[in-house]
Parts: sequence; structure tokens; C-alpha cells
Amino acid sequence: MKHLHLKQALSLLLVFFPLLGFAHNVTSADQALLQTGSLWAYIQVGATHMLTGYDHLLFLAGVIFYLNSFKDILKFITVFTIGHCITLVGATYAGITANEHLVDALIALSVLYKGFENLGGFERLKVKSPNLLLMVGLFGLIHGFGLSTRLQSFDVGTEQFLSKILCFNLGVEVGQVLALIPIVFIITMARRHQQFPAFYKAVNWYLVLAGIGLFTYQLYGYFSE
Amino acid sequence: MKLKDQFYTSLCLLVAFIVLCSHDLYIKMETYFLQPNQQATLSLYNGTFEESENIITRDRMLDASVVAQGKRVAIQPAQWKDQDSTITALTFNTGEAGTYVAGVSTKARNIALTADKFNSYLKHDGVLDMLEQRTNDNLLNQDAVESYQKHVKAIYQVGDTKTDDWKTVLDYPIEFVPQVNPYETYSGEKLTVKLLLEGKPLPNQLVYADYIKSAHTHSDHTHEHTGKEHSHEHQHEDGSHSHDHDGKEHSHKHTHEDGTHHHHDDKPKAEAGHTHTSGQQLRTNDQGIVTVNLPEEGIYYLRTIHMVNVTDNKELTHQSKWATLTFEVTHKHEASTHTHDDHDHEDGMPTWIFIVGSLLVIGLLFLIFRKKS
Repeated sequence: MKHLHLKQALSLLLVFFPLLGFAHNVTSADQALLQTGSLWAYIQVGATHMLTGYDHLLFLAGVIFYLNSFKDILKFITVFTIGHCITLVGATYAGITANEHLVDALIALSVLYKGFENLGGFERLKVKSPNLLLMVGLFGLIHGFGLSTRLQSFDVGTEQFLSKILCFNLGVEVGQVLALIPIVFIITMARRHQQFPAFYKAVNWYLVLAGIGLFTYQLYGYFSE
Repeated sequence: MKLKDQFYTSLCLLVAFIVLCSHDLYIKMETYFLQPNQQATLSLYNGTFEESENIITRDRMLDASVVAQGKRVAIQPAQWKDQDSTITALTFNTGEAGTYVAGVSTKARNIALTADKFNSYLKHDGVLDMLEQRTNDNLLNQDAVESYQKHVKAIYQVGDTKTDDWKTVLDYPIEFVPQVNPYETYSGEKLTVKLLLEGKPLPNQLVYADYIKSAHTHSDHTHEHTGKEHSHEHQHEDGSHSHDHDGKEHSHKHTHEDGTHHHHDDKPKAEAGHTHTSGQQLRTNDQGIVTVNLPEEGIYYLRTIHMVNVTDNKELTHQSKWATLTFEVTHKHEASTHTHDDHDHEDGMPTWIFIVGSLLVIGLLFLIFRKKS
């Protein structure tokens, strides 16, 4: 971390900050699609949300960067998936919700956390890093709650309620798989390159900056509500 | 010839115009935004949205109800008052805050029309599918005896609290049911509305949607329909409506059983500055849903006439079911002036901007770290 001066990091953050407003773009177009009432619409919106919900993808990218084998990737992604399925289905079905900005701020912290951990932040602070599998499961629960909060912001209606939730969840998983394919491919290819260490640092520093930016953006949104 | 002929021609055109107008029924309020526990008036406009021509007699009402806080309360016949010879009105106390639904359903009545008058009415009221069917089947010369019934709803907002009553299905033979709360939908956005016939979605049905500017925000009732190259003026509140058909004149010229339905004329309504098919012409999709543009704040009204041929009744040739829905739309009240344009940016820009921006940042960081290493 010492390789990057604070001044440079702040400059990059300022450049990057305006882009953060575009994360999580589930919009009135999605609402209009859901209003058709078809379950297919819920799958579509779930997939769209995952593919355009950059905070989820950034976290996943951070997790994959840390892992070397396909078996590990499968294991961690499965834990993350189970985590977000529990809260997505459970919280939506039970009608449990929270302020979207606060939930998204927590998700932003998960991105920051992963970048920090990948850069060896805990070692540098001489602190033992928490069990990664446990943390991925925990963050999976938070990400799922974020997805649930977003789904509950739509008028889902009462007909086929559980089916709609499950279809949205299915869409999220489809979107996650579609997003993971290029992420895993790029990271795997990059590992073979001699410049991989610089790439590794660049991406994880980007995760740290993105996490800070998203967190700040969400808090700004919360306090200016 | 001249003077006498001109007089008769003018008279014919006037009579023709008066008779050709059919009567839509709307639940109309001065504003659909009300405060809790205030006195308010809900009027039945039987004519056009701008001007009522006849009252609705109580014996015609099959149902009149208000739904709020999950409860449906019947409006008793005695609660209605005839404001004059043209408007039936209900004065009521708004009660608690919430989103309310009011509905009125009328009995079926019959009317006999000559072929020409029936064709004109189909054309000018936008019952175009039936007109096309008659044209294709070479039945344009066939007189008609039509059974018609009207089922109308309004959704209004009391206070700031939004409740779920807006989606209440009143179980009318035909009715509009919004898919989202119109009071959580704002100018610049779109509202999806489902059309139910006998409780089931009605696909491929023509629906007309139009609006007037809210009386409480704009004194001038002129508006333009963006992109439609259409505009018309509403100059009725003061009684100076350009359509010359007041209730008395109308009742003299009309001999139908209740004097409240189709009026026949050969003069196109557009020439007189008004048509029942102004605004957006929409068609329901396979799920019976139409998407209504809400270009600016105002009082919106949707109307449709579903008509079928009758083959199992010797007295009737056609049966129609009429539905209207009225509600008011305002702009989004947010300090951040959240506009439609913002949505467009959200919809169209994020993916590529975020990806390109991210790649640039990562690329920059990569160059820095590579140089350092």
C-alpha cells in the first residue's frame, strides 16, 4: 500500500466519484417491466440488477482475485450465493426492509474490505484477518438484504408473491453467472502474465477506492434524503 | 333559397352535432389532492370530461362506493344531490389520509340507432374495431339496437399517506385498475393500467387517454400534447363551452328512454373543437395493460368502450360496456428536483460509463504500479 501515495489515491477517487452515482440502476423501466406481472419479467429484472449492480460484481471480483483454484472459487461463490439467497428470499417474504442507502453503504464497505484484505491490509496493521469464508457468507447476507430492499421498492403485488421472489432470485443467479464468466476468465488469463502483480494491486486499489466512493455516495444520499 | 336553405343547413348541423355526441361518464373533482377531514365534492359528469349534460338518476346506479383503508363503503342514493339539471354530485368529508377509490356502476339500457347514426357514433367515439367489423362484413347499412352500461372510477389522494386501496378491483363488468399507485407516479413518467372485463384482463382493446391541466395550478386550460401535434382549449368552467348543448336543449331534442345516451349528428366533433378520442390512442397488450404517458401534471382521464355483437337476443344487435378512470398527476416533490431526464440518464448511461470509467482508473493504477515495480 505504501507504493501508492495518498495524494494520488485521492486524485483518483475524485476522478472516479461521479461514476459511482450510476451504480445500482434499477429504474422506472424495471418497474414498468415488472408491472406486466409475468414471472419472466422478474427473472429479467433480477439478472439486470446483478449485471448492473456494480457493487455486487466488484465484491465478487475481489473474492475471485484472492482465490487460485476453480474449486475454491466454486466454494466461495456457493457460500456467497447461499448467503444472499437467505436474506433475499427471507427478508422479502417477511417484508423486512431498511433504508436502501444504508444497506448499500454496507455493501460498499464489503467492496472496500475485500480490496483492503487482498492488498494485505490486515497483515500491515498486524491484525489477524477474519476467516474469509465466514466473511464472504456474512457479506452474502448483506448483499442479499440489499437485493431484497431493492425488490421491495417495487410494487410486487400479492399474487404469486413467493414465485416472484424466487424468479427475481433466479434472475440474480443467472446474472451472477453471466458476470462471473468474464471476470474469472480475465483474472485467470492475467495470472499468467508477468505483469500480474501490478494488475493485482491496480484492481484491488480500485476496489478500495470504489468502496470508499460508493460508501460516501450512499451516505450522502442518506443524509440528503 | 339562400336564407332559408342556410337556416335549415345550420339547424341540421346544430342538431346533428348535438345528437352525435355520446355521453361518457366520469367521476370528476376540482382537484384529486385533498386534505384529511375536509369537505369535498365528487361530481358525475355525464357528457364529456369538460362538460356534463345530464344528471344520473339514482335508479340507474347499480353501485356507488368509496374504498379506503381496505374498506368499501356504499354511497347511499340519498347522499347524491343534483347540482343542476346536468350534474349529479356528492359532498362528503374526506376522512383519514390515504389513497381512495370511488366507483359508480350503472344499469344497462337500450338504444335504437339508424345505421348512419350508429356508424357515426362508432367513428367519433373511437369504437373503431366494431366499425371495421361492420365495414368488413358489409353491415354498414344495418340499424342497431345497443345495450350499454357505464362503469366509472376515480382515484384521489387525501393527505400525504399513500395506501394500497388504489388497486382495489370493484368487480364491475368492466374497469380500469392501475398497476402502480397513480399518486406515486409523477409527471414525466408513465402509468400502466390494466383493463378488466368481467374480472379478466381484456387484451387488444382501444383505450383513449387525455388530460387537462389541474385547475388549482393553472388558470389557463390550454394545453398541448407533446409529440401528438394536437392541442385543444378547455374553456368550460365559466359556461362558455363552444359546444352548444345544454341539458334543456338536449332533452327536448332527445326521445331516448332516459335522454342520457347517444346523441346523433352528422357533424364531426373535431370541427366543433372536441372529440371523444383526443389525446393518446392506446391498445391493451396481451395482459390487458396499457401504458399511459403522463407528460405533465394535470387531471388525466382514460376511457374505453368495449362492444360486441349480440346474436342470442332478438331485441339487441350490440352490447357495449363503457369504462372511465380519472386521477390527478403532479410533479415529483423532491428537493433534488428528480426529473424525468435523471431517469433517462439512469436508464441509458450507467453501464458503459461505469465500465469505461473503471477501466480507465484500473489502467491508470496499473501504469503507476508497473512503473514502481
